[in-house]
Parts: sequence; structure tokens; C-alpha cells
Amino acid sequence: MPSVALKLTQEQAQAQKPVLRVEDLHTYFEVRRMGFFKVGDVRALDGVSFELYPGETISIVGESGCGKSTLAKTILGIHQPTKGKIYFEDQDLSALNKEGWKQYRSNIGYIMQDPYGALPPFMSVKQILEEPMKINGIKDKKEHARRIRQVLEEVKLAPIEDFLPKFPHMLSGGQQQRLVIARAMILEPKMLIADEPVSMLDASVRIEILQLLQGLQRRHNLAIIYITHDLSTVRYFSERIFTMYGAKIIEKSSTKALLKEPLHPYTKALFEATSDPDAENLKTFKDVPAGEPPSLMNPPAGCRFHPRCKYKIKGLCDQEIPPEFQVYEDHSTACWLYKDKARA
Amino acid sequence: MSNNVLLDVRNLKLHFRTRSGPVQAVDGVSFQLRQGHTLAVVGESGCGKTSLAKAILRLLPRNVTEYSGSVIFDGEDIMKYDDEKFRREVRWSKIALVPQASMNSLNPVIRIEDQLMEPLLIHEDISKQEAAKRVRDAFGVVGLPLDFLGRYPFELSGGMRQRAAIAMALASNPKLVVLDEPSSALDLLTQANLMNVLKRIKHEYKTTFILITHDIGTASELADEIAVMYAGEMIEYASAEYFYTDAHHPYSRKLMASVPTLREDKELGFIPGQPPSLINPPTGCRFAERCEQRFAKCSTHPRVTKLENGATVQCWLYDEDETGEVKHA
Repeated sequence: MPSVALKLTQEQAQAQKPVLRVEDLHTYFEVRRMGFFKVGDVRALDGVSFELYPGETISIVGESGCGKSTLAKTILGIHQPTKGKIYFEDQDLSALNKEGWKQYRSNIGYIMQDPYGALPPFMSVKQILEEPMKINGIKDKKEHARRIRQVLEEVKLAPIEDFLPKFPHMLSGGQQQRLVIARAMILEPKMLIADEPVSMLDASVRIEILQLLQGLQRRHNLAIIYITHDLSTVRYFSERIFTMYGAKIIEKSSTKALLKEPLHPYTKALFEATSDPDAENLKTFKDVPAGEPPSLMNPPAGCRFHPRCKYKIKGLCDQEIPPEFQVYEDHSTACWLYKDKARA
Repeated sequence: MSNNVLLDVRNLKLHFRTRSGPVQAVDGVSFQLRQGHTLAVVGESGCGKTSLAKAILRLLPRNVTEYSGSVIFDGEDIMKYDDEKFRREVRWSKIALVPQASMNSLNPVIRIEDQLMEPLLIHEDISKQEAAKRVRDAFGVVGLPLDFLGRYPFELSGGMRQRAAIAMALASNPKLVVLDEPSSALDLLTQANLMNVLKRIKHEYKTTFILITHDIGTASELADEIAVMYAGEMIEYASAEYFYTDAHHPYSRKLMASVPTLREDKELGFIPGQPPSLINPPTGCRFAERCEQRFAKCSTHPRVTKLENGATVQCWLYDEDETGEVKHA
């Protein structure tokens, strides 16, 4: 895609102050028996740290139940973190009062997986787009009209007048998702969280939506967290990729470095499992680990991937939790295989 | 019927009645499938791929207005069978279906083993012991541990339930298995494991599959032939090798260009516009409105053109006109 060249390089992005800083974030959900006795915790997020810069996209890949949506929802304030801190432009979120939260939320746009489920069926396009402005105290009708016009133009729902009175069921899947994006953009946020924004859409529309997001990012210098299970889209869309497994980030890398050489055995397996359209695939079997992701109530000791890992080191991987090893400047992984290869 | 063609579908039509008019879900589809081969039917949602499967298996809703054409299976035109004969002799015993989201279609209150035995006991005159043995064999084929037989569906993970549903389809030794989106609801690694299982079954037992999917990447794992559907019509049919290197129909080409790839960097495209309504589809080529290569002739319905390697494409670009000249090669 030609747009890639126009984007900020990672160094340029990081010269700025981070929009979002997440430190050692834990989100646990209590499990109760008979609604009363606590029997344990589901550790949906277990020690996640990273920084997100303006104009940058971080992709978070992993399978269902790895904690990627919990991460999004904890950042959005839908779930309360059990431990750890989130800073938005150096402001500690845990110190915010009600008004501060409202302010903060208006700075993040949220795009969810199922566009139809995300749009109230009884509201017209105009009402859907006015709602966030009403809630956030923008009362001027002229300003409403101006912003609605601007976002609809940006998401290419044209002619605008035709779309304003329509209801969500009158739009196609791709148009619905564009409306969701328009709604996320109407308060002019600094950051977008896109949770599987294209996985419900047809292949021919997916790229259109991703390119649309990319265009918005360029024009508004948006920071984007792109959550997906589909590795093949990330190369076209992000500067950095994090892999999550069992509620932890197990690999952090620039997109370029990861595509060249995935380090963690789990990321390698994800690569192996992704099929590019190629008739040669018919002739070979995929070398992927059997088994299931770990229970987050009783995660295995040591590395959470060790029961499925063919490279595991007995006595180490099954006992001690691997720390993050910085293998290359732009590439780190939490895997014991790299303990001797880490940079000082 | 020669060179072991197992399934020969000719001009199959399936139209539904709706309040706004008849929906032409499957409109004149013809293809042949050879014994032991796998045909992947690809296309976007609403293009009629699932309706095609239902039309072959005659699993029809009540609002059908037209159901015609011929389906010659193993030398016999099964369209001529009455419903009772079809149910007894074809469905499930010769052609089995693994429906969409079949992992969630298992009955939650019946143990897996009893559920898998049920179609065998209904369709075949065999003892319970014999049926149990066949189910155990099928369980082995899909690579599930036998002690899961006594469990209830909720005790199995999604990937295991999907395998159980496939085992159910295989237990009756059908000649043809129709898989409707078998892996799209599963996680990446589970999906890859399942494709390995299907591939092994294909190689070892020479089972014939029709794989219905929207995922062109995954389709390449199993397909010998690819059929592309658009707006109720099969617009291209080619061997996988031929299709993945050189798709012909402008829609197939666009579709291929919109698939992101992990291993190579390529320019991605998308297809502007939407597929036409199946209630009043255009009389000419149904893709013409979104096609960059359309020309005057596209306002009439394109003929099916045979290309080399047995591929067919329904597009005027490849049609020889009266002068014997092909517009595009």
C-alpha cells in the first residue's frame, strides 16, 4: 500500500510523548460459587506493560480467550484493573473523578467487532452520530451538523443527505462498520481501539475498511490499538505487533522484524497456521501444536505455553515464568530459549 | 458417465419466495466433481454457496418456488427420486453434511456416542454394537480420544465438537461429504489442526468433499478444484493449481487481490460497490456494475466459456465471437 511510506517511522513516533502508557496491568475476574463463595480468579490480564505513541498502530494478535479484548476494555474503563496503572498523556486514570473519566472517554474511539450489534436499531444515522455530542455537552446545532458532515465525508458515506435518515438495518455490513467508525471519530479522539473491526466483513470489504482507518490515522495523527486474530492483515496496517497468550504479552516486535523472524514458538505456530492462497498448501501438512490454550483460573506453572511447546526445556520452562528478553533492538520475547541471546 | 465423475450437477436452480419477490439463490449452476477430489466453493456472504449445498442435499425450506435441474450422483439422477426415497437412500448414507457452526448443533443433553450412533441406526439395518464400533472407528479417524465418546457436548472444546460433527458425517461411510464453513468459527491453531485432519482423511480414505468457505486461503489447504460463486451463479470453475496462479474472471481476480497475505507483500485492492440483489438481478452479467473491464456485450447474459485445463469461466471477455476472436486472453 502506498500509504505506508507516508506514515511516521517508529523513531519519529517515539520522539513524541506517549498517548497511552500501561504499566504492569492485571485484570482478574472473581469466580463465585452460588453467587457468594469466592472460589478463585480468572486472570484475564496478567502483567501487561507497553507504551503507545501518537500516529502509531499496535496490533495485538492472539486467539480467543488470550485476554486481548479484556485489555481493550480495561483501557476503556469498562473493567477495573486489579493491579497496575494506565496513564493517558501522563494522567493516571485511577486518580480521575467522574468528570475526568468522561473527558478521558471522549478522547478514545471504540470500534467493535459486530457493527450491527453495536448500532441501536431504533436510531437513525443522524441520531446515532448526535448522541455522543449530546452526552459530552456539545449543544450547538450548527456544530452538530458540521461534525456529522465532516465524519461522514471522512468515512465516505456519501451522498450524506441520503444516509442521515437511514436506520442501521438499511445499511450493508461495510456501511454499518463505517458508521461505527464515524461515531468513534465524532468527538475527535486522540486514540482508537479497534477490536476485530473487519472479522465479520467479507474479504472484498475488509481492505477498504482498513485503508479507511489508515487514512483517518494519517490525517488526525491517531494512535490505534488494532486487536485481531488474523495475522495476515497486520503487516499492511501496523508498526508494531504484540502477541498475547494466556493473558500475557509474550512477544513484542516491530512488524518488519516479526515478519522476518518470529521468535516465540507460539508466534511461530500462528505463522505456520496462517494459510496464504497457494495451491501448494494441498501437498503439505501444517506443523502446529495440538491442545488448547491454558485455563486462566489455574494457569500452568512457568511459561504458559510449555504444555504445548515442542522446544520446552525441562526443569526451566515448566517451573519459572520467563522474563522479557530483548533479543533485537526492536524485538523482545518472553521465552527461555532466548535467555542467552538477550542484549545486555 | 466416465472417468469416475461422482457428482454431475447440471443447471441447478433454487429460488425462494419472499415478500418482495422471488430470490434466485442458486441460478443455473453446473459442475462436475470427480471421485476422491475436493471442490472448494468460495464466494462472499449471500452469493448462494450454502444454498447450493442445501440444493444438492435437498434440505429445502418451505418457501421454495423453483427447484430444478439435474444432480447425477454416482450415475443416477437423484433429482428424480421422491422425498422419501431421497431421505432413505441418499441423504446421510451417500451424501453427508457438516452444517455451518455444526459444533453448536450437537444436542446438549445427549452423550456424544449416542448422538453419533443415531443416524446409523436410522439409515442402516445394523445392531447397536455394530453402530458403536463404526462410531469408534470414525472417532479414531478424526483423531479424538475414545474416552470422549461418553461425554456430553459441553465437556468438549469447540475444535473437538467440530471434529465430533465430522466424525458423525463420516461414520455412515458416505461417498460425498459437504463441509459448510467447517473451520471459520474456530481459532487459528485449532483450524490448522482440523485442516490437517481433513487432509489426512482425504489422502487415506479418498473421500470426496465439497468445501464451502469464504476464506480463499484456507480453501487452498484442501481443494483440488475451486468454484467461485457470485450472485447465485458459478462464474468460474478451475483446478486449484490453475486458479491460484491465474484466476480469469474479473471478480475472481479482484477477490484474490483483496486477500492479504502473510508471506509476501502485495498491493491490496478491494471491490467497490455491492453484489446485486438476488430478487431482481441484472439480466446481463451480474458483476458488470462493479467490473472495470465491462464493455457493451456485458449487458447480455454471458455464456460459459471453456478454457484450457478444463476450466470454465462465465465472462464475455473470454468468449470467442463470430469471427473466432477472443477479446482477452
